[in-house]
Amino acid sequence: MAHTPKSHRVTIVNTKQVIACATNQTILQAAIAAGIDYPFACATGNCGTCTSRLEAGKVSLLPRGDAALGPQQIKAGQTLACRARPRSDLTITWLSRAPG
Amino acid sequence: MTVTDKRNRAAAKLLADVHAVTAKEGLTPSALHAIKLKLVALAGKKELFPLADFEMPVAEGRNHPLLVEDNDGHGLYLTISLPGKEAAPHDHGIWCVNAAISGRERHRFFRRTDSMAKPGYATVEQVGEVMVEPGSGMAMADHDIHSTVVVGDAPAIGLALYGYALARFPSVAWYVPQFNSVRATPSRRHVAMA
Repeated sequence: MAHTPKSHRVTIVNTKQVIACATNQTILQAAIAAGIDYPFACATGNCGTCTSRLEAGKVSLLPRGDAALGPQQIKAGQTLACRARPRSDLTITWLSRAPG
Repeated sequence: MTVTDKRNRAAAKLLADVHAVTAKEGLTPSALHAIKLKLVALAGKKELFPLADFEMPVAEGRNHPLLVEDNDGHGLYLTISLPGKEAAPHDHGIWCVNAAISGRERHRFFRRTDSMAKPGYATVEQVGEVMVEPGSGMAMADHDIHSTVVVGDAPAIGLALYGYALARFPSVAWYVPQFNSVRATPSRRHVAMA
């Protein structure tokens, strides 16, 4: 029987939507799959377009470039939706443009 | 003469040679190939690039400027990318040449296959692949599309030469095959012109 990864509830503040995000999925992947117009460009942790504020919850980050998300940003609660996988239910706000 | 002095002198010589090539034949495929060979030769001089002189990434990827020309000229960087660091298919909007000092980075090359009629939508297909490792490199014209990923357990450390400095880059188009998307990052050219 195929193993189904655990998933967490992700609340996207900009659109007031709650989506499911598997633990092996990035928040951006889950958002796009749910039809949400989440801002992004590279989707690989290089450009910073999907920079978001983690309002609550925990994520693990995939490899990324230093210029895309600095230590001060992480300290300030920011993350990259394209690199962040959920480790708990979480609430997130994208920062790069007004809600779509 | 210190290693830094030797490195700076070698970087200046490379840029002078690059300008000589492009002045003679423009930015043709053969010119980019010639530039690549020069960059590969410089990257082979490992004694000029001791790791102690370059901080490792805080995350997984970092660029160290070696020589950034005035007057909107070229930018030469030492790049360090840790295992697993990747970049989706993208063009730079400006030519680019890479050469490895150590480690291995796989470059895949793509071409766009959609009609470009729908904003934000794009499909690409792979048309080539090269492993950039010591003794080799790769060259791209302004709108060639490549993706990168560091393979193996060692950092990929290399030289990257761009037609413009990174701080003065034009818009970069990113293609994400998983989403069939194309998104452009803002041009930094206006900053250069300010």
